[in-house]
Amino acid sequence: MNLTTVAGMQSEIFVPVTPVPVFTELKKPLSECKVAFITAGGIHKKSQTPFNTSGDFSYRTIEFDTPSSELMVTHGGFDNSDINKDVNAMFPIDRLHELVEEGFIGSLSYETYTFMGGGGNVEKFKNETGPEIARKLKEQGVDIVLCTGGCGTCHRSATIVTRCCEAAGMSCVVIAALPPIARQQGAPRITAPHVPIGSNAGEPNNIPMQTAIIKESLEWVRDCPSYNQTKVLPYEYRHNV
Amino acid sequence: MSITNETLQKHLKDPAIFCCRRQKGLVISAADLEDPSLFDDMEEAGLLTLSPDGLRIEQVLGSTLLTDVEALTPITKDVLDKINETEETPAKEVVSEPAAEISASAIQTSTGGNGMIHIEIGRVENLEHLSLDIPAFAGVPVTAATAAAPGAAVHAAAPTAAPKEEKKEKKVIRTLTKKHIRITDAEIGTETSIKDGKITIDGSIVEKAILEDPLCKSMELSVIKPNERHIYTETIMDVCPIATKVEGELGSGVTKVADGVVFMLTGVDEDGVQIHEFGSSEGYLDEKMYFGHPGCADENDIIIRCNVVIQRLSGMTRPGPFAAHKCQDYVIQAVRNELKKYDGEIVREEICEDVRRPGNPRVVLVKEIMGQGAMHDNVICPIEPCGILGGQKNVDCGNVPIILTPNQVRDGSIHALTCIGPATKEMTRHYIREPLVEGLAADTEMDLVGVVFVGSPQVNDEKLWVSERLGSLLESLDIDGCIITTEGFGNNHIDFIQHIGQAGKRGIPVVGVSFCAYQGQLVVGNEYATAMVEENMDQGGFENNVAGCSCVTKEVAARAIQMLKNKMAGVEIAPAPKKWNNDVINANNRLLGLPETVLLDNGTLH
Repeated sequence: MNLTTVAGMQSEIFVPVTPVPVFTELKKPLSECKVAFITAGGIHKKSQTPFNTSGDFSYRTIEFDTPSSELMVTHGGFDNSDINKDVNAMFPIDRLHELVEEGFIGSLSYETYTFMGGGGNVEKFKNETGPEIARKLKEQGVDIVLCTGGCGTCHRSATIVTRCCEAAGMSCVVIAALPPIARQQGAPRITAPHVPIGSNAGEPNNIPMQTAIIKESLEWVRDCPSYNQTKVLPYEYRHNV
Repeated sequence: MSITNETLQKHLKDPAIFCCRRQKGLVISAADLEDPSLFDDMEEAGLLTLSPDGLRIEQVLGSTLLTDVEALTPITKDVLDKINETEETPAKEVVSEPAAEISASAIQTSTGGNGMIHIEIGRVENLEHLSLDIPAFAGVPVTAATAAAPGAAVHAAAPTAAPKEEKKEKKVIRTLTKKHIRITDAEIGTETSIKDGKITIDGSIVEKAILEDPLCKSMELSVIKPNERHIYTETIMDVCPIATKVEGELGSGVTKVADGVVFMLTGVDEDGVQIHEFGSSEGYLDEKMYFGHPGCADENDIIIRCNVVIQRLSGMTRPGPFAAHKCQDYVIQAVRNELKKYDGEIVREEICEDVRRPGNPRVVLVKEIMGQGAMHDNVICPIEPCGILGGQKNVDCGNVPIILTPNQVRDGSIHALTCIGPATKEMTRHYIREPLVEGLAADTEMDLVGVVFVGSPQVNDEKLWVSERLGSLLESLDIDGCIITTEGFGNNHIDFIQHIGQAGKRGIPVVGVSFCAYQGQLVVGNEYATAMVEENMDQGGFENNVAGCSCVTKEVAARAIQMLKNKMAGVEIAPAPKKWNNDVINANNRLLGLPETVLLDNGTLH
């Protein structure tokens, strides 16, 4: 081997380590908890301004009594066809109402907040959007926050906001299609169904799968022993793009 | 957590901090100390405050505690029975500043039979003929050499170089001749032809072209001359050269390439929604394309714009964007057919060779390409250079690694359906003149055995699965080093880092190349990602929607190739600073005599 080498070069890209732990233990039965569901997957009401797909740290307010037919997606980081078929694939609002009726959870917050996490500005999400969403949820007496990411950087934004909620005293889980990102970014709890980005909460129109993913994610909020632990969920969906 | 003795050795000059509460009477060892590489994070999180009175690790080892000390507290002399005598060398400088430049002559190192590395420095400023013998183990000699003369070019013969090795001749496997034909004008007219350097395209061809795919609703052709760039365009989906085979198959024989002209595909759906994913580049062309970058039009190119309208709501699915590319290819094929017949002025003849260079380190280039569906897809090995027909899509191939020869890549084996953000995607033109392929193929110190294309799937499990297949491939190719690139950023970084890990855990020196900067900061990492090259050219470090802005350029390629040589020869590459810093990139540029990386101000701080 005969190579010309140059001393003094420096690597140009930082390779990260996981952030500090944040963990709020759940202290009530699920059936008494008030639950909220947030998403970084670009869901909003059809009447609202769409997200800027090249990076947007704003959020939209969605009342939980909004019919799912009034919701849509604006997101450039993945194939939208599954959410176009069934918004519950990213934001399972219909399933959550069913779980309240069933008595599996106590209630839903009056409203929740959604954002488009793709390419999200880390500082803005960490210092502005995240704390604001956390405060608004906490003010409604929320005990548990469930969250879906979307694309890769969405999982980062989703995890940042989820960490803010956890730090504000709510018990949270990221339902991750890309669990390594949620883990690396320091999600308090992670569940990992085998789903593609774009249908992070389960196969479109597959009600049993969507219900099972939410139920087991809620159970993981209750049972997860410590910070940043992942539970792999036995539900698999491959979508034919 | 405590640290190992191995970690300890790397951090002797760093602050000594107890990892946990320690009691009076303890004799301090590695097991009691916190890992200094975590201090930045801990300080940021408010867990730790370093003190100027704190001692260094080398000063406290073996000393006895006189009192109880809390965790994450700097160790000071008043709590110890003694302090080790050490040389008063300053703590290792935090590498956030660019390396100092020293004008130096070559340093020769060689390995002798006594297991010592002999270093001779001919002449460095203020330093005449220094000669050193150091044991040839574990990075120590290299550190010494670099400390002696940062910025100096080192010619290293690694310990593995056998004296019997002779200079072997290169073996040419096949030759490709690319004839660049001068084109000086283009217009949309009434028949398709090339005459006297002028391309004319029959305007009515669009009626037939859109029949190629029912999702394509309409098409419009126009010519944009170099002096007409301030013109509105819909989002730039691709830039595609006009190239055609006149002899042989892709990668061999003769190809004609039209010089001075390219096709540019733009489009919207029936509702006027841009056909884009992560960001779009509609707007004034002069502000929306980085002219001169490998994937883009050059400053003086004539652009034949092919603007399409596809069916509503099909933009974010696989068939929609593909229809646009397919219909454009119908038009390009008509021009290719004319180019085959046209005997115009040859601007230059580019001779490309697939070669073996026996005795040189075997290397591969791995290019991670998008494979998540919609536009995240590429057509591999079509019949015509940069074409569509006859090719296979990497998504349909399961995104498994596919190896091509350097000549095949340089002959337009990849037609990009061009994923993700405009600035960070690699368009079709990029691949036919990929700077890393060209740089590695031309490098007489290495043996480029092939170029691996691996798709980035949508599902996490599939990312890992594909990466493991790549690992086995790299192992069986018996390579000495590799460079791994990715286009775009975000979820593809998972597999990108996995790929680096697959090479790294097999002991293969690896260099990673990507856009990361601010917006694309790596979300996952591993211990093998130690030689990384940044593609960003945006001031805010964002995807700035300027097509082709932040991608593999000649400079990026040169830095990556040099880092690979350093890694293979065991010459240290300093760790990256915690945050993206363009000064680091420019310090590397200066070391290699490359032009400065000037960032584009596009108002991206949002």
